[in-house]
Amino acid sequence: MPSRFSGAFVWTISVVLLPVSLTAQGGPTDRPAVDETAAARGRGVYAKHCINCHGSTAKGGPNGPDLIRSTAVLRDRLGASIGPAMQAKAASHAASLTQAQIVDLAHFLRQRIEGVARNRTPTAPIDVLTGDPEAGRRYFDGAGRCSTCHSPTGDFASLRTRTSDALTLQQRVLFPTLTRSTKKVEVTVTTPSGPPVSGTLERLDNFSVALRDASGDYRFFSRVPGMTVDVRDPLTAHRELLDQYTDDAIHDVVAYLWTIK
Amino acid sequence: MRLAAALLVVASFVAALHGQGTVSPSALAAPTSDSWPMHNGDYSGRRFSELTTIDSRNVASLSLGWTHRIAAAGPAGGGGSTAAVIKGTPVVANGVLYVTIPDHVWALDARSGRELWHASWPSKGGWHIGNRGVAVLGTSVYVSTPDCHLLALDNRTGKEKWRAEICDLDQFYYASAAPLIVRNHVIVGVSGDDLDIPGYIEAHDPETGARQWRWYTHPEPGTPEAKTWPSVEAMLHGGGMTWGSTTYDAQLNLIYFGTGNPQPVINGRRRQGDNLYTGSIVALNPDTAQLAWYFQVSPHDTHDWDATQTPVLFDGTINGQPRKLLAQAARNGWFFVLDRETGRSISSSEYVKTNWALGVDAKGQPVPNPRKEPQIDGALVSPNQAGGQNWPPPSFSPQTGLFYVNATRAFSVYYLYESENDEKPQGWGGNDRGGWSEAVLLGLDYQTGKARWRFSWEGSASTRSGLLSTAGNLLFAGDSANNFAAFDAARGVPLWHAGLHASITNGPITYQLDGLQYVVVAANDTLYAFASRGR
Repeated sequence: MPSRFSGAFVWTISVVLLPVSLTAQGGPTDRPAVDETAAARGRGVYAKHCINCHGSTAKGGPNGPDLIRSTAVLRDRLGASIGPAMQAKAASHAASLTQAQIVDLAHFLRQRIEGVARNRTPTAPIDVLTGDPEAGRRYFDGAGRCSTCHSPTGDFASLRTRTSDALTLQQRVLFPTLTRSTKKVEVTVTTPSGPPVSGTLERLDNFSVALRDASGDYRFFSRVPGMTVDVRDPLTAHRELLDQYTDDAIHDVVAYLWTIK
Repeated sequence: MRLAAALLVVASFVAALHGQGTVSPSALAAPTSDSWPMHNGDYSGRRFSELTTIDSRNVASLSLGWTHRIAAAGPAGGGGSTAAVIKGTPVVANGVLYVTIPDHVWALDARSGRELWHASWPSKGGWHIGNRGVAVLGTSVYVSTPDCHLLALDNRTGKEKWRAEICDLDQFYYASAAPLIVRNHVIVGVSGDDLDIPGYIEAHDPETGARQWRWYTHPEPGTPEAKTWPSVEAMLHGGGMTWGSTTYDAQLNLIYFGTGNPQPVINGRRRQGDNLYTGSIVALNPDTAQLAWYFQVSPHDTHDWDATQTPVLFDGTINGQPRKLLAQAARNGWFFVLDRETGRSISSSEYVKTNWALGVDAKGQPVPNPRKEPQIDGALVSPNQAGGQNWPPPSFSPQTGLFYVNATRAFSVYYLYESENDEKPQGWGGNDRGGWSEAVLLGLDYQTGKARWRFSWEGSASTRSGLLSTAGNLLFAGDSANNFAAFDAARGVPLWHAGLHASITNGPITYQLDGLQYVVVAANDTLYAFASRGR
């Protein structure tokens, strides 16, 4: 019978990768780049001639269609489509724009489209300070059991001055890492034949474990039947909390922690 | 030593290459064990092979046959940040293996990995996020491109026979899906999530490329299903892309596929309702594009949880009765078993613990908790945007009766960026951030919806490895620590593994040529072919 962790057929090779880096963009490569100066002029053209019907965000209004979702606008190249399209609707677009104004308008609309296409990235700060600080303090000392390990006068003293913004704080509360901590993941490996070996965890998968022992030596073990691997992760309690938090508790405790200046 | 011996064995068979030949529709209807002639191996989507040369008793003798590194070729142009990563499933027919990345197809000798030809073309754009592979029929190889084309290539040379436009780059569509051949139809889906555009799937003539039909993933205005949108305009800009894989039941003459998330993606506050047919499993007649049924996996999704995971077809027994079944482990963390003749629910259960649903309704569809929709100050949601499952394909073994999922349990926080007062959200309008996750390989009992076994990938937060099961009682899977492993499929116990230079990035396949069974898998830019004669 084959051994579960037979090392004989385990091999590793290493290849130097040459990643190809390209500018992220989803649409056609020939779509015009936005000239911000022209777009700013185009904003003025839009405000004067278009906004009443097509709305302040160009997403349409009672009397004019959505220009962000307009196929003619999406296919436009520097006014080549929208110019004739406006001419065709002369009755409702009586204002005769110069070619230069049409190009400026095209840049403005393209700027709007690109803004929508990228709005999975925030353009304004995210306000997460909606909770009740006092309720957060009670949670910290009570149900959340935060005070078991943390203290506003100890490790959390002057927390706010050490945290860039409340969103970052919320993310750290929920998903802490050990990158800024002196704590490490510790592991003890006990082989069937030898004494237990303990150290800080370097690498772990189902087939091997590696640690750095107290003397600084790197120790690697292939995992075999009869071996025990005891991992002690200081963040285990935080992972367990993910199943217990309510969103209200999260917002409250972040509001409380933000008061610790 | 064993490795060298295997390489010698492979080298001795290089001369036996038969050439490209043709692929008949019957070869697709009943694939032989010397091939893997479509994305999922066969129409069922099970990714199960009848091969038994390699089995759970001898798998430890599996060793390296060949490797092939695609020649440092990144995407040929266009947008996207993807390096040369193989995310597609290779297709094997007549001794030739076809593998892709966006804008590139390689034909390799399936016995040796030696390159026969390489086709690439300049791109006009589109997201270069991945390509899921080719379809083959006759002397043609079909592939979709990020710049919205379906190409037919000559299988002897890679030379282009025709190209058909399948979407509009200017509307920010792109294409990544593997086409599926059903008789005289090349069926292909589309992608695109930046702007608010309707999803669809379409069929083309294999000889000419002419479009035969297009089916939009939204209802006809005026129908009862259209009332799941607040307006016709919202519906016609409501997303539902078709970038997953399609399966086919020849007897029922139905194709099955999942549809993507609705749009706007995250801010759903101005598209109240269930938003059909987004986030759904859909059954269509491949000749007429007539809708047979739908089942909505994620009503009113606001978490980017496409329901594009493979709808896997198998016959089974439910309450003592033989049934034609369809099962999907959806991105939203739920496992659905349906009657594939009617689309009616048999069971719905969580395969990873989630926190977004209040329960299931009478139709077996999860009921979303409005409090877990994205919020301006954040909502803690499980699973995260990547989901309990994503595009890496699952597998079903009729031998064990288990549906295998390489699952992720994850949390993240979903934020809404635009003001609640924004009259017309568009695009995404929010996103998720941060998180914690763990990876687990599951053997799900389709009769109960519960895991008969679970194997925790220690040290792996998530994995992008697809799965393969075989009649040798084997399940092949990878973790995110560069391991590729074979498991006892019935018990979930690892029997063999190899450490690669990177983690698995696609779904493994298997085929047998000249008595040698190959298992081929990709890790980033390299294909690894493991091989064994069994004993």
